[in-house]
Amino acid sequence: MFNIFSLIFKYIFIIIIYMFIFSIIRLIYLDIKGINLTPTGDFAYLKLLNRKDTLPFKIDEYYSIKNVLSLGRSGGNDIIIKDPYISKKHFKIVEDEKEFFIEDLGSANGTFINDERIEDVVKLNNGDRIKISNIEFIFVNR
Amino acid sequence: MFSNKISSKTPRRFLFLFEILALLLLFIHQKDNFDKQTFINGFALIVIIYASNYILLKVSRGDNYIFLIATMLVSIGAIMIYRMDAKTGTRQLMWLFLSILIFYATYFMLKYIKIWDKLLYVYIGGAYLLFGLTFALGERKFGAINWINIKGVSLQPAEITKLLVIFIMAAYYSNYNKYKKTKYSSYLILGIMYSFIALLFLQRDLGMAVLMYGIYIGLQFIYEEDRKLIAYNIGLFIISGIIGYFAFNHVRVRVETWLNPWIYINDKGYQITQSLFAIAEGGFFGKGIGLGFPHFIPLAYNDFIFSAICEEMGIFTGMGIIMLFMILVYRGFKIGMSQWNMFFRILAIGISILFAIQSIIIIGGVIKLIPLTGITLPFVSYGGSSIVTSFMALGILQAASEDMDWQVNDDE
Amino acid sequence: MMNKNNNRVKENKRIIVVLACLCTMLVVLIGYLSYFQVFKAQEVKNNAYNKRTWINEENVLRGSILDRNGNVLVYNKKTEDSNKRYYKYGRLYSHVIGYSYREYGKTGLELKYNNALLDISDSTALNDLKSLILPTSIGNDLKLTIDHNLQEKSRSLLEGKKGAIVAMNPKTGEVYSMVSMPDFDTSNLNDHWKGITESEDSPLLNRATQGLYAPGSVFKVITTVAALDTPALDNEYKCSGTAKIDGYTFKDYSSRGHGNITLEDALRLSCNTYYVDRVQYIGKDRLGSTADKFMINSKIDFDLPMKSSSFPYKKSLSKTELSASAIGQGEVLVTPLNMAMVASAIANDGQMVKPILVKEIVSKNNRILESYSTEVISDVTSSIKANQIKDMMLKVVESGTGTNAKIKNVKVAGKTGTAENPSGKSHSWFIGFAPYDDPKIAIAVILEEEGVTGGTGAAPIARDIFIHGLNNIDF
Repeated sequence: MFNIFSLIFKYIFIIIIYMFIFSIIRLIYLDIKGINLTPTGDFAYLKLLNRKDTLPFKIDEYYSIKNVLSLGRSGGNDIIIKDPYISKKHFKIVEDEKEFFIEDLGSANGTFINDERIEDVVKLNNGDRIKISNIEFIFVNR
Repeated sequence: MFSNKISSKTPRRFLFLFEILALLLLFIHQKDNFDKQTFINGFALIVIIYASNYILLKVSRGDNYIFLIATMLVSIGAIMIYRMDAKTGTRQLMWLFLSILIFYATYFMLKYIKIWDKLLYVYIGGAYLLFGLTFALGERKFGAINWINIKGVSLQPAEITKLLVIFIMAAYYSNYNKYKKTKYSSYLILGIMYSFIALLFLQRDLGMAVLMYGIYIGLQFIYEEDRKLIAYNIGLFIISGIIGYFAFNHVRVRVETWLNPWIYINDKGYQITQSLFAIAEGGFFGKGIGLGFPHFIPLAYNDFIFSAICEEMGIFTGMGIIMLFMILVYRGFKIGMSQWNMFFRILAIGISILFAIQSIIIIGGVIKLIPLTGITLPFVSYGGSSIVTSFMALGILQAASEDMDWQVNDDE
Repeated sequence: MMNKNNNRVKENKRIIVVLACLCTMLVVLIGYLSYFQVFKAQEVKNNAYNKRTWINEENVLRGSILDRNGNVLVYNKKTEDSNKRYYKYGRLYSHVIGYSYREYGKTGLELKYNNALLDISDSTALNDLKSLILPTSIGNDLKLTIDHNLQEKSRSLLEGKKGAIVAMNPKTGEVYSMVSMPDFDTSNLNDHWKGITESEDSPLLNRATQGLYAPGSVFKVITTVAALDTPALDNEYKCSGTAKIDGYTFKDYSSRGHGNITLEDALRLSCNTYYVDRVQYIGKDRLGSTADKFMINSKIDFDLPMKSSSFPYKKSLSKTELSASAIGQGEVLVTPLNMAMVASAIANDGQMVKPILVKEIVSKNNRILESYSTEVISDVTSSIKANQIKDMMLKVVESGTGTNAKIKNVKVAGKTGTAENPSGKSHSWFIGFAPYDDPKIAIAVILEEEGVTGGTGAAPIARDIFIHGLNNIDF
């Protein structure tokens, strides 16, 4: 009895192991396809901290900042995210003399820097976490 | 779209299914004399693996594949070990539990303590200390003096040393500009590495010697600016290999039994030929779990676990294991390349090289592609210090998969 | 800042190099593993030290081996605590059937047909399942093409000598007897093993399939076929007893010379000078490709391990070397079975058939599981030319060097050979077939280092086998 089961199971085990391998390769492949822009130069960028596949809308892993970067739900923005908790014009980041400043554009649910809601223009430091809705970015500037 | 069909949970489900089926098979096997303890153990394994994969997703923002791959490898290994000997299998589960704790401990320590790249001298000192300890307390086991026995638990200090080698390399090259000011500093590192290899030769732990050399040459190739040093290193290795061949009988034996084990089938070629019998008998699909004779292979839990798996689960499973290592190594390199912090970058690449070379050495050895040198197969083999250090290395890799660049400043 | 970027690019390149190396090595592992499984595993599994096969074998009554008339040659007997194999005719089949011992492994047909004898099917899902549900306990029997009486006769004729005999049916390829001497007793290996392995006469070697000998004049049959294929080859030749080729003098067996002779006389009288002279016109490529058709230089598919005969004509041969080859000296080396096949091909109108040892595999309930039939493996020459050679070989026995093979009432055709052996006394050869009109038995006999001519040494042995075989075998 056991022998027969064992005989059948050996095929099943092999199939499962290969399905496992395949599914991982597939996921890695999708991942790589998603990251078409990995920043390599010397500029400032935002990096998404959430796992991409947990968010139900289109979003990139990296956004580089050149002069100005605006984020919101409507067209016209540099980063458009179709999340209902994000306002049409949510925030923008401005570069000034190699310093970067973030400004909330009167959003309904607010912009948080390192878990603190900002009211005014705030200077960004390397490693600051920017949170809107449940999306979190990290600001990197070298 | 395809991406909707394969969610991030899919591989975890396959892993889960694999383990449940293995438990079911065990259940069928024991239907006459049902042992409750076995089931508690098996169930505990599944819960632990599933839970720790789940927790990791919540805790770490980094890579979420490497831990999955490692747990798949552990599951295959544990099933095989359990099938050969239930008591050893249970012990393996205990080790696994401990290893996962250590994985998390390592992960958090790496993440939140920020002085790791400044401890070069500590690592070097530690490595020598471990060697000293082995020679002072060591006992000979399977022809090599590389085990120390503490209260009934056998430990292999070189398992830690191999991680220290990676840390030494990472600490050195991430502060290369600083150390470079001292003349011949890279030659000094070369001297230290060769002293490790020589000590391992004396302990007759050839597998570990080759492994450390592999890590060293790999990292040196990537980071050393003095390119002719790499040529010296390769030349030196060949020369010491030749000297080793003529000076040490135990090296000669390995080569002889590799070239033709069949004429030494009763003595020194016994292990490798038994391993080949097992693999040949298994065929592509294996004999089925419980239907082969893996006990015939000496050291079937440790070094020869790959042959035992091939016999009962088939060459296809064997190839699957190799592919799992390949993905793991690929992921490790990917982690390294997208890490901005140099110290962690080197750590990630060093650990990936470690996994790659260690699996190549032992799998290549048991299938007689290269001379056999005893070493464990990471994650799959039984052995306390082996599985613990494998998970420790994985913890380091997990930490390195997260962005560290805003935490530590490069001094470049 | 730029510098840092460049460094990063360089570093990434090197990282990818290392990754590529490691992945290549892992892929090589996968590749080797499949190679091992496909090409090596069977041989490894059959190794005598593989304990797994013993476990299977202990429970199975290994099949018997019978001759063509159903005489049992080897059988197993199972008692409560033992499962022993009995070799009824210890020495007689030491090279054909071989042995199956736990300690010393398996050889011969015992090895080749191990799975059939144990009723093990190839491992497929269905067969695995079948063998678990209905475990086999009795293996299949092998029915050989060997005629036990002729085998005994052949061995008695070689008793006390070194050498080999192969007798086969030229039309079907069935081997009637195959003997190699010295032999060893398979019924009791345990007591004699040390002596067998240490003996200088290498009794374990099957000389019929693995002994490589200079063929001497029997090779002239092949050279003659090549000569018939050579257009405008002047048939007349004046033999003076010696011939000088490129400064080296070849001598005839009789130094007086044969006078004016034709190709037919040359074969009948085994005239060396004719062949060493004429082969220069035939050329090495024609001789070589003729030899190739006779399966010299190629692997012959047979149930027992074969060595390949060789005539290395593709490398550069000097004129002297070519002349030496034409008379079966120099670098030409052949196996006795191959030479029996040469005689068969001539007897069978130029068609060479595959030699077979096993007629049928029979299951325990007398069902024929597999039967082996005749298969032409090489088209050696046209039937017209084959018949020309047949006539010449008939003359060899009637009035040439092979008169010792002559039988009353039956026409025998053949060719003798006396092969010079640089390391000892010369070998004595005879190849041939009988009856001339309707060949039923083709033969090759070699007496190793016997020191006599083929006509005196090997030909009478062939005659005795023809007489015994033609009278007793149920064709």
